[in-house]
Amino acid sequence: MGENTFLTVKNICKSFGEGSSRQDVLRGMDFTVTKGEFCVLLGPSGSGKSTLLNIIGGIDQADSGYIAIDGDKLRDMNERALTEYRRKHLGYVFQLYNLIPNLNVKENIEVGAYLSDQPLPIDDLLHTLGLWEHRYKLPNQLSGGQQQRTSIGRAIVKNPDILLCDEPTGALDYNTSKEILKLIEDVNQKYGNTVIMVTHNNAISDMADHTIKLRDGKVRHNILNEHKISAAELEW
Amino acid sequence: MKNPLTKRLPRELKHDWKKYIVLLLFMVAMIGLASGVEVANGSMVASIDESYEKYNIEHGHFNLKEQASDQLLSDMPEEITIYEQFYKECSEDIDLDQCEDATVRIYAIRQEVNTACIHDGRLPEGPSEIAIDAGHARSNHIHTGDTMIIGGETFTVSGLIASPDYSSLYKNNSDFLFNAIEFNVAVVTDETWAALPSDATYQYAFQYKVKPENAKAQKEIADNLMGRIAMLAASDGVNALTDFVPEYANQAIHFAPDDLGKDRALVSVMVYVFIGVLAFIFAITTSNTIVNESAVIGTLRATGYRRSEVVRHYMILPICVTFLAAILGNLLGYTLFKNVCVNLYYSSYSLIKYETRWNAKAFLVTTIVPILLMALVNFIVIYRKLRLSPLRFLRRDLSTSKRTKAVRLPSWKFMKRFRLRILLHNVGGYLVLFFGIAFVMFLMAFAISLPETIDHYQSSIEENAIARNQYILKGCQDSNGQRITTQDEAAETISIENLLTTSGVRKGEEITVYGYAPDSRYIAISDTLEGNEVFVSEPYQNKFHLSVGDTITLEEKFEDVSYSFTVRGIYDFSGSLCIFLPQENFNHIFHLEAGAFTGYMSDNIISDLPEDMIYTTIDAKAMTGMAAQLDYSIGGILDVFSWVCMLMGLLLMYLLTKIIIEKNAGSISMLKVLGYRNREINGLFILLTSIVVLLSTAVCAFLGIWGVMGAFRLFLNQINGWFDVYISVGGFIKMVLLLLLAYAFVAFFDMQRMKKIPLSDALKNVE
Repeated sequence: MGENTFLTVKNICKSFGEGSSRQDVLRGMDFTVTKGEFCVLLGPSGSGKSTLLNIIGGIDQADSGYIAIDGDKLRDMNERALTEYRRKHLGYVFQLYNLIPNLNVKENIEVGAYLSDQPLPIDDLLHTLGLWEHRYKLPNQLSGGQQQRTSIGRAIVKNPDILLCDEPTGALDYNTSKEILKLIEDVNQKYGNTVIMVTHNNAISDMADHTIKLRDGKVRHNILNEHKISAAELEW
Repeated sequence: MKNPLTKRLPRELKHDWKKYIVLLLFMVAMIGLASGVEVANGSMVASIDESYEKYNIEHGHFNLKEQASDQLLSDMPEEITIYEQFYKECSEDIDLDQCEDATVRIYAIRQEVNTACIHDGRLPEGPSEIAIDAGHARSNHIHTGDTMIIGGETFTVSGLIASPDYSSLYKNNSDFLFNAIEFNVAVVTDETWAALPSDATYQYAFQYKVKPENAKAQKEIADNLMGRIAMLAASDGVNALTDFVPEYANQAIHFAPDDLGKDRALVSVMVYVFIGVLAFIFAITTSNTIVNESAVIGTLRATGYRRSEVVRHYMILPICVTFLAAILGNLLGYTLFKNVCVNLYYSSYSLIKYETRWNAKAFLVTTIVPILLMALVNFIVIYRKLRLSPLRFLRRDLSTSKRTKAVRLPSWKFMKRFRLRILLHNVGGYLVLFFGIAFVMFLMAFAISLPETIDHYQSSIEENAIARNQYILKGCQDSNGQRITTQDEAAETISIENLLTTSGVRKGEEITVYGYAPDSRYIAISDTLEGNEVFVSEPYQNKFHLSVGDTITLEEKFEDVSYSFTVRGIYDFSGSLCIFLPQENFNHIFHLEAGAFTGYMSDNIISDLPEDMIYTTIDAKAMTGMAAQLDYSIGGILDVFSWVCMLMGLLLMYLLTKIIIEKNAGSISMLKVLGYRNREINGLFILLTSIVVLLSTAVCAFLGIWGVMGAFRLFLNQINGWFDVYISVGGFIKMVLLLLLAYAFVAFFDMQRMKKIPLSDALKNVE
């Protein structure tokens, strides 16, 4: 483990089902991520990337191997400790936003702020996210991109150590996707959070510091990108 | 920072205001009723408790056949102080039509024991003034200043009083029920009392110099006292003890406070059951909300919200609504409902005045317990639902069933199978609907069957009376030693004795023993009964579960003498708990002379019996007094209550079907997207719900009646007498129709609701 190693994924295995219907989703994954890194988990559908992200997020458990964050192994934590771990260290962004329908934009972000002792200033964040004008709107009055911005706001307002993004652009069009990626890039640079993003979009790996390509539950390539480009320059 | 999720709560309330209003109204009504009963009851019972001292209530009384001599009084046991409280019973003509409307028991104003509580007016001062019982006055619309004819003389009502030893107007302690309509207790001045035409009953109240410490000691001392007084009274060979009623066994004193206590318990249980049902409805609604919001919950949990925070969030609304209902309910309880309850009690009982008192138990029953109940039920359901991992919520995989394959259905037509699938998918919701209907039908069965039972009892008593008139004589010979006879051809002699049960469902229940004349036309028992063989009446058989061949043991009221009888048959007579045997056997068993009898019975009015020898007359009116009293006390309320039940059914079904429709909103929306017409969608959901409601109503109507019968059996086991619960076919149909009428409204609302489900629901994000 290097000096700056923040996240360690060690020999993670995971399978679903039993007997003849057993399916090995993760077959021994190993890699590390350094603090503040923008890391992309890239792979086709069924490669196990979302399962891996859930295990890193402490909402799923590996059959063997371990995940360590800053040296703390998740497998040694009970449910209560895992909740506290998520509460203090993690921000989550999902493909389908999962906003609370009867809270407005600002209040949805407050839902995240509530979990932190020192949340980021919400008004500043609303400006950063480009949501200031929409702060009193309910989710059903927003476009997909605005909803995803809100969900990113909810995740980062507590200034988490790690921002986990599960296909955050999966439900968005090209332009909106680029906007969202730009936003995540800005957040990563501005607040210094470690970002782990799951995607099946090859192009996105160009903006990452670190790309881990997965296939059939294994790490096929572990690439540190020395010539990354900004999100605005991405094309696909 | 304040939890931002709480900002959802007022919006959730606003969004689903109809549901919350219905639930709130339900709870306000129930809590208000409970609070009203508790406060009225508690205040009343506290006043009654204080009345023992305030009005110096007797510790018991006894009646003698003749006025006690000075010698007898001086020989009386030393541990008691004795007070004369002689009374006379006269006819009462309220509407001045020269017909007897009631019997009034008149005392001279009692100064030492059982002093009167004046509700209105004043005690009598002049010779033609009378103060009558306030409960009787209310039942007969008599007011202070009115005139009435008592024993042939005109009296003016100077005031309305409550006698503390007649809080319920029992004429005899063994009566099945009090009768405030046809029985009255009154006081007049000493001079007026002396001038009343009727014979006096020599009643003596007594008080212990040292009151027994507990109930057991009270009974032991009373039993001992009774034996000693009976012996002393009989010692001169003329006098005799004819009645002995210790205070603890006096229904006229205890029935009302006991009934108040039972009302409190009953209403408390009803509130708990009802709040439990509502809590369950709340929990199911929340459970559905959790399903709908599963992705949000998964996200919250994934970002670090604790399970307890989420549980708390979903529990806040039910608890807040319950809390609000408790406040509003108590406000109504202390104002409106308390007065309703008090008026109800005053219309049945002759209770003393009361003061409204703060009632800590009412607060507990109507506020703390409902909130705790609501919290507990919701916590269990919500916690179980939220036990799943955040990932399961994110995946919207909340099923706890291990079933992986759908149930195979018979090869019916598609729509029929579709309906069955909907039923299987919503089986939990429909089960709750069934239980909701069962609950309403139980209350409805009570509301409809009780008035019918009273009417049925009344008519069956009149139709099946042994004879229309019974004349109980003071003896079977006149003062010249001649046998008392009558020219009435329909008359025949009857012997009557009252004994008490010694075992079975209720000890000390009064059983009337009838000795019938040979070839009696009124008691048609063709079997020849030997020795101690008897026929028992149907109510006696039903209450004590008797069978032919059983041996029953009964004992004398005032003496330690018991008798055994063998049941030879069941006699079709529903009037009372009694046994029948030939007069000859009767006289032999009770050691009476051959040919002795107690009185005459006839379907005609017998007018040639010597007036001075008639102890009492029992006619159909007297026999149905209980039914009239019940009808007056509760008949009207129950009629209204059946409509209240219908409304309750409407609201419950509205809530429960709403839950089912909301759960299926996505499917309904998808059907619309696919091109199904509203009529076809109604054919799936509304028709299915209608079938379930129809079947549930039919089944629950039987269950409701069965439940009411069971509840009545439990109730009647605690008191004197028996009657069978009766419900006519018409009553049964009314029960079913009322609920189905309520459902017709619900179905209409449901159709409107389903019509409004937008097509976009089906297109909502689903992973």
